Amino acid sequence: MLILYILHMFELNLINFPLLVTFGFCIGVLGSVMGVGGGIFIVPALVLALGIPIHQAIAVSLVAIVATSSAVASVNIERGLANMRLGVTLEVTTALGSIVGALVSGLLAPNIVQFLFSITLFPVAFSMFIKGRRVLKHGDTLRGPAGMAAETPGGVFDSEFFDPAINSRTAYRIKNIAPASFLSFFAGGLSGLLGLGGGIIQVPVMNLLCGMPIKAAAATSNFLIGVSAAASAFIYFRKGYLIPELAAVIVIGVLLGSFTGIYILYKTRSEKIQIAFSALVLVVAVMMLKRTL
Amino acid sequence: MTKIFSEKDFGKLIQRTLSAGVFLSLFFFFLGFAFRCSGSAAAAAFALRTGVTVLMLTPAARVTMLVYGYCRTREYHFALASFIVLVLLFVSVLL
Repeated sequence: MLILYILHMFELNLINFPLLVTFGFCIGVLGSVMGVGGGIFIVPALVLALGIPIHQAIAVSLVAIVATSSAVASVNIERGLANMRLGVTLEVTTALGSIVGALVSGLLAPNIVQFLFSITLFPVAFSMFIKGRRVLKHGDTLRGPAGMAAETPGGVFDSEFFDPAINSRTAYRIKNIAPASFLSFFAGGLSGLLGLGGGIIQVPVMNLLCGMPIKAAAATSNFLIGVSAAASAFIYFRKGYLIPELAAVIVIGVLLGSFTGIYILYKTRSEKIQIAFSALVLVVAVMMLKRTL
Repeated sequence: MTKIFSEKDFGKLIQRTLSAGVFLSLFFFFLGFAFRCSGSAAAAAFALRTGVTVLMLTPAARVTMLVYGYCRTREYHFALASFIVLVLLFVSVLL
């Protein structure tokens, strides 16, 4: 089988190298704090600022998501934040969806993929805003009633973690695994199709549907989106869409940012950041849509 | 006497696998940029592609460790789920 390498005239130099590392750093911080892979920001930035074709931007984004996921998950597992059992279960349908998404993306023209990406950002911005506002106003009510922290988890998926923001252990029970698995397929599909981590679906699914506290949901999302991103990244890699130099420099920045973001997530509330960046995502959505039309 | 494989041991195994993959890929990235600065374009390209490949294989290594770990803890349903994910990753490499 012939592998067609698409050569894009991207040249790394002394000016864009530190800029790209800094950009990757910011993405890494945001990604680990908000439980998303950063694809929401990486793809539009590469397309709008560098003029990288959408399929190649998606390929770079997926590699960066693998990096973020691996780095953040390694710490979250140590801290007991990530629920590996739930993560593994949801990974099955997520990985499958990711492969399907990547294959579909390869069949679509770049302007169609770009259009799909831009319209996807509108509900993403809206959900980030609504979620952040709701948690700020009412608190993380899905921790459950006051007595929940004292309960011992019972089912195989149930767990608990120490939350330094409130200086106590938070126990939670997992429910609705089957519908969560079903929705995870679409999260994986988004990942493969548009270069998003899928965390923008996975976190609300685990939080709202499965009853998981937001921090554990973000940590578990980080844990499992690496697999879905890797599954689709291989497909883009074999199609020759990946620019290794660009991927490497973005990943370096993303990893630095991810390690920084891990500590921010662990100690602060991410809801305020979510609200602020929902506005940014909305602006990016409009810019991407304008470019497509 | 068989050593008990605790939840903590399992977590450490996964954490170390992920960290190893990330740091190894970073090593190849920096090696690639070093080759580039020294003018060896072919070596730089090879090192960068190797770094990207290592990074993309890190989740597969992590899933492999999950299969091993869940077999040791006798949680065979999670071991099976992990194995299915591993197969899907293998399929994606071939597509």
